[in-house]
Amino acid sequence: MENNKNIALSVKDLKTYFYTNNRCNKAVNGVSFDIEKGKTLCVVGESGCGKSVTASTIMQLLPTLSRIEEGEITFYKDDEKINIEKLERNGQKMREIRGSDIAMIFQDPMTALNPVFTVGFQIAENLKYHTNMNKKEIREKTISLLDDMGIPLPEQRVDEYPHSYSGGMRQRAMIAMAMACNPKILIADEPTTALDVTIQAQIFELMDNLKKNYNTAIMLITHDMGVVAELADNVAVMYMGNIVESGTADDVLRRPTHPYTKALLDSVPVLGRGRNQDIQPIKGSTPDPYDRPVGCQFAPRCSFADNTCEVMPEITNISSSHDVRCHKYKEIFQY
Amino acid sequence: MIFVISFLVYFGLDLTPGDAVSHMISPELAATITAEKLEAMREAYGLNATFLERYWIWLTSCLKGDFGYSMAGGVAIKDIMVKTIPATLELSIVALIISTILGCSLGILSALKKGSATDSGLTVAGMAGVSIPEFFFALVAILIFGMHFQWLPVGGRLLPHYENFLDRIPNIVMPSLVLALALTAGAMRYSRSSMLDVLSREFIKTARSKGLPEWRINLLHGFRVALTPVVVLIGFRLPLLIGGSTIIEQVFQWPGIGNMFIRSVRASDYPLVMMISLMYVFVVLTASLLIDLLTALIDPRVRLGKE
Amino acid sequence: MKTNSLNKKFDKIRFLEENNKLVSKDQNRLLNKFLNNKLAVLGLILFTIIILATIFAPLLSPYDPLKVDLRSMRQPPSLDHWFGTDNTGRDVFSRVLYGGRVSIFVGLGSSLMAALIGLAIGCYGGYRGGWVDVIALRISEIFTSFPQIILVLLLVSITGQSLTNLFVIFILTGWGGMYRLSRARMLSLREEEYVQALESFGISTFKICYKHMLPNALGPVMVMITLSTAMFILTEAGLSFLGLGVPLNVPTWGNILNVATDIVVLQNYWWMWAPVGIVISVFVLAVNFIGDGLRDSTDPSQQG
Repeated sequence: MENNKNIALSVKDLKTYFYTNNRCNKAVNGVSFDIEKGKTLCVVGESGCGKSVTASTIMQLLPTLSRIEEGEITFYKDDEKINIEKLERNGQKMREIRGSDIAMIFQDPMTALNPVFTVGFQIAENLKYHTNMNKKEIREKTISLLDDMGIPLPEQRVDEYPHSYSGGMRQRAMIAMAMACNPKILIADEPTTALDVTIQAQIFELMDNLKKNYNTAIMLITHDMGVVAELADNVAVMYMGNIVESGTADDVLRRPTHPYTKALLDSVPVLGRGRNQDIQPIKGSTPDPYDRPVGCQFAPRCSFADNTCEVMPEITNISSSHDVRCHKYKEIFQY
Repeated sequence: MIFVISFLVYFGLDLTPGDAVSHMISPELAATITAEKLEAMREAYGLNATFLERYWIWLTSCLKGDFGYSMAGGVAIKDIMVKTIPATLELSIVALIISTILGCSLGILSALKKGSATDSGLTVAGMAGVSIPEFFFALVAILIFGMHFQWLPVGGRLLPHYENFLDRIPNIVMPSLVLALALTAGAMRYSRSSMLDVLSREFIKTARSKGLPEWRINLLHGFRVALTPVVVLIGFRLPLLIGGSTIIEQVFQWPGIGNMFIRSVRASDYPLVMMISLMYVFVVLTASLLIDLLTALIDPRVRLGKE
Repeated sequence: MKTNSLNKKFDKIRFLEENNKLVSKDQNRLLNKFLNNKLAVLGLILFTIIILATIFAPLLSPYDPLKVDLRSMRQPPSLDHWFGTDNTGRDVFSRVLYGGRVSIFVGLGSSLMAALIGLAIGCYGGYRGGWVDVIALRISEIFTSFPQIILVLLLVSITGQSLTNLFVIFILTGWGGMYRLSRARMLSLREEEYVQALESFGISTFKICYKHMLPNALGPVMVMITLSTAMFILTEAGLSFLGLGVPLNVPTWGNILNVATDIVVLQNYWWMWAPVGIVISVFVLAVNFIGDGLRDSTDPSQQG
């Protein structure tokens, strides 16, 4: 494992279960990863695999009918170690962490911003509750934040409502809001899914700059392998509540050892490679969370599966940075 | 819209027995007048003119404040209105304020404690509130508080010895609370469901992710957004409040326009019935206009649509 | 920390789930949801009891509700007279039962008729528009500019008091709401794909409107029927209480309450008016419970 100086947040064996409709849904079922300072960790997977739930768990933003069953979430703040899973959900310590140490941006900025308050007001709230700045200082800082994030005419825009912003501008405003107190970790939950591809590129450039200028650790959740290829320093691939493969971007993208990772990479067309690309869709579909297969969750869709896959595989360290959860990894990629 | 209705009202008035002249002149004069003079007056007032012309005359005199005379006592309708409308306004406004504040607070409480005993209890109480006939509730209240415990006066608005505003408060307590009953229950239910809807939205999660205290998230972010549909829905129920005051005024002998309306219906006093109906329509239309303005004030999204 | 009871509840669910004791049932969701709503079921039971009681009134009470018996005036409840007797010796219990027939007939009947008319015009108007729709819209706007009681009283003063008049007046004041509700539903439904598909098959407008689209609009309409029934029963009670509704010779729930306008009766002879009031409240409450249950089960956006 890495030495602690570089790690901003460490998650070990996290399990989050949902209890809606009087059923038990094991949305996250034993997940471990580290978020390094100044680096981007991309968490990839199809919808429903538990990546958003993981993010919500870190911020303790889970709905009422759910809880953290087991596991540890350790936040390395300056010299302290804070165990987030032990904190009271909306208690004072957790609220101090939220917004100022760890911040989150969401998928659809139109619904994620309050429609009846101005953008400036919503950004100012963050500053008001985490800093000792006075009204004038807050307003100046808000305007400069909007400016930093590339919003034109910030002195005017600060008093406008979210619905008069364009989609890309709204997302920038949300990033401005999240970065207001210079958080150590930024969690981005599919920030560009609701935006045009050209705007996507701009937002990612913005996030990359944040990393460079502020040394922010970024946890980027996405289902798009193309984004991963562009931005990731580290990658974690999730399927049905487990991380099936993780490592540096180089490890996972060039030397994939899990059938699912390989299938994901094979199913994405690459711009510029020409017309006759061999695109393979992944056969089958994600199982009903209430009716899961026994053992490895990917087995029913996997071309390499056999009887041994009826037992959930343990995590194997292929190298110091590269981990995989598969019985058959040796067959997937010859090291 | 109001012109259409005034047209219909006048048409109805025309259908009723009695001539426009007998409505327009005070009864003292009518008792002494001769047949020729009556005919001359008809000519002078243009009663032998067409329906439309007469409508126009009636309309313009209404706008000037001359509403004609009541058949029963022969009193000028305008005077009747001036005397009774303030009483009804007093009652309605107090009931509106009580029901909005009480209803919304209870609704918010209910939403925040969803699924608990408090929530269930309040929900059932709310449903009971809209199911019990208002006058029945009034009767029971009069029996218990007015007669049995003798805490509050049984009816009426003013007594001769009343000097200042505070003296009048005991009289208004029961009628306004009873009138407020149905609207409170409605407001409670709307604010509860609106709050529940709003609290499940993304921006609440965003607000929480900023580390804001719970009260601020629920009230400032939550209720502020939930308020808009609540205002609209309360606005829909306003006609019921205005109409409901008629029965309440009867039971509590409150000298308002509702009381007067019922008396005029009983007496088949058509001019009065028509004019009061028209006035009610006017109030309802004005109220819905005010609600529209209020909505635009609190919700910036609505404002944009108007530009 | 989370409350203990919530934690325990979660532990129990998790245990059951891990031992495969929980299975999703794929039955009729609508009925299931309704039956799970305890209040709605209670409402249905109370509603049925009261309606059956009024239908079988002759069996339940041997007295003629109109028969005057001056020898047994103003008697408190006893085994002979379950609700006591009124000012002229009539048995209150049988008056309540027979009165229920009229009140429920007026309330439920006019609500259903109003729904029928409103649906018929609203469905076609919402789907196809046209001059019928425009006129109906204007007319319904006129009606909703009046507070309901005022409009009813106004019409009663013009037409005079009678049971049929009241019935017709209620339908007149009620159809507008139904019309606008079904029209609104149609307006949103007509953008659905299956409608366009049906149109492209050349199926007649009538059939599309009434056979295919109307069933989808029924949910909110059924809820509204229950609400109107409740409102009409309360209105009739209020009017008859004031002596302006159904003429006093026909017993209705409101008419029976009319005696309470006399202070002497109010204070001393509670059995003459209190039970009726309670019966009205319970019936309307039952109707409201049913309406609420219907609303919950036809609304797709509900979660556990």
